[in-house]
Amino acid sequence: MGMQSAISARGVTKSFGRQRVLDNLTVDIPSGVTYCLLGPNGSGKTTFIRAIVRLLHLDGGEMSVLGRPVSEVDKIYSQIGYMTQHKALYPDLTVQENMEFYAGLYGLYKQQRVARLDELLRMVDLLEHRGRLAGALSGGMYQRLSLACTLIHEPKLLLLDEPTVGVDPRLRQTFWDYFERLTQEGKTVLITTHLMDEAEKCQMVGYMRAGRMAAEGTPEEILRLAGLRPILRLWLAEPERDAALLRAEGYEIDVVGGVVLVRLEGHAQIKEVLSNVSPLDMRLAEPKLEEAFLRLSEAA
Amino acid sequence: MSHSPERAGVVALRVIRQLKRDRRTIGLIVFAPIVLMILFGYALSGDMSGVTLGLVDGGGHAGLRSHLESIQDFDVLYLGSESDAERLISEGQLDGAAVLGPDEVQVLLDASSLQIAGAIAAAVQAGAAKERAGLETAGRQLGEESAIVMRYIFGYDLEMMDTVGPAILGLVVFFFTFINAAIAFIRERSQGTLEKFMVSPLSRVEMVSGYVLGFSLFTLLQSATTLFVVTALFKVPLRGSALTALAVVLLLGAGALVLGCFFSNFARSEFQVVQFIPLIITPQIVLCGIWWPLQSVPEFIRPFSYMLPLTYAAHALRAVMLKGAGIGDILYPDLLALGIFFLIFFAAATLMLRREVG
Repeated sequence: MGMQSAISARGVTKSFGRQRVLDNLTVDIPSGVTYCLLGPNGSGKTTFIRAIVRLLHLDGGEMSVLGRPVSEVDKIYSQIGYMTQHKALYPDLTVQENMEFYAGLYGLYKQQRVARLDELLRMVDLLEHRGRLAGALSGGMYQRLSLACTLIHEPKLLLLDEPTVGVDPRLRQTFWDYFERLTQEGKTVLITTHLMDEAEKCQMVGYMRAGRMAAEGTPEEILRLAGLRPILRLWLAEPERDAALLRAEGYEIDVVGGVVLVRLEGHAQIKEVLSNVSPLDMRLAEPKLEEAFLRLSEAA
Repeated sequence: MSHSPERAGVVALRVIRQLKRDRRTIGLIVFAPIVLMILFGYALSGDMSGVTLGLVDGGGHAGLRSHLESIQDFDVLYLGSESDAERLISEGQLDGAAVLGPDEVQVLLDASSLQIAGAIAAAVQAGAAKERAGLETAGRQLGEESAIVMRYIFGYDLEMMDTVGPAILGLVVFFFTFINAAIAFIRERSQGTLEKFMVSPLSRVEMVSGYVLGFSLFTLLQSATTLFVVTALFKVPLRGSALTALAVVLLLGAGALVLGCFFSNFARSEFQVVQFIPLIITPQIVLCGIWWPLQSVPEFIRPFSYMLPLTYAAHALRAVMLKGAGIGDILYPDLLALGIFFLIFFAAATLMLRREVG
């Protein structure tokens, strides 16, 4: 349990009645990364997050959060930003009043608060809506406000349960840029999501299944683990001859309808392939993380 | 975790902002007491049970007298003179009086409650008829028949308002604070804000204190308007200090708030909060001694009456408004009991919030 880990869980278990929701879960979430928890509904993602902030007590195992045992996590609540699937806003308060309220809870007042509010409202693109009642906002705006309220006290550890639901792609990119900036400052972001393309943007991905960590690593590692590799499709003047040539070089080759498919070990291999053949046209097909997880679940 | 008044203040400010924007609730807080007061004040002014009848016996009507004494619903009070009877009726202490004399029977009636007046007049006439029938069968010679004269006294209007008014002040505050607080906490739960507080430096004590502070402002507004209506419109005397009365109401309101917070744990929706009314509010109305004196509550239920905050608030408010009591006079048992009630449910409410954690 070194200081490198923002969250470290060892053999953590939790049951609701006879149902085991966390089943001997072991995971390390390093400091300063965006870590994505993926997994089907009921796989234990939300339960794990709630256990981190001690909204529920574990039946067994050990866990530390920001270097402290989880039993003392209430002493460091001011360093944690927690965004639930409920938006935790007051619809009868304005955008600004909601943020002022949360700022007050974390002891932010006056100029400090004003500056922070402006910065966050700009980030979530609600600056010109600050006087509107939260209840009158669209779903995506509401979500953005909820995120802004979670970030108000500059937490060291961010726990975000499905933070980008209903947020349009352009703004989602803004969020991810912001998260990246946070991790560069040494902060840790733990996100649950259903969206694979979001998972691909995280530095680390953990795939949970039935309360266990089914697979964990960088997105590339996960793909490799599932046996999925990028495929280079080549249109060649003499496909049969070139295919034989590449096979002789040790590449995994398929020929489908006159197109030569090369299964790559990594992107560095593209150059090597092109030193052997000169295609008329080519295209690179990246494997999808989604596919990888489907394979991993089938295997498990 | 150490508690910070600033954070409680942040919660209070938020509660005030929310309520301020809720026009309908504010309207209800201000106008509902007026409607209730009118309802209670007029509709209930003709209470029939326990009619107090004054009797001035100038002789000559033994039969009528024993008839009136035999009526169960009548409490007969023996008086020395007609003027005493008049005075007591105008002060609202008597519902009516019969002045018996050899030549004439006078019936003095309270003009403000015609139902009671009618009942008394009917009883006197029936008694006189019975008396005459008794004398005839005894074969006695009938003298000149005594005349029955009815006279209405315009004295104290709505005397019931005097005793009920102060208690209604307490009832109204208790009712609305309880309901509004329970609903507010249900919302904190369903919005997810409560869960978020659990993962913030805000402690449960700070949160509930913030609510008490924020709601107190509206309790003040509500009790001030109600107090105004009771005294200005219904002429209930305010012999003590208005500030003392407001202090009693504030303490009662704080108790209702923590009770609402506590009971919000047992409701899943705003709709279910409404279902608490017969359970929490009605027993207080029935048992607090507003309508029926505590002495008339059966003895085995009486300890229960003494567990209800409204019992003490109603008693204290009556003392302040009607008898001019000061803070010192109502400290024990009323304010003490209200304070204990508040503390018990403050503790219970904060402990129940903890049980959110599974």
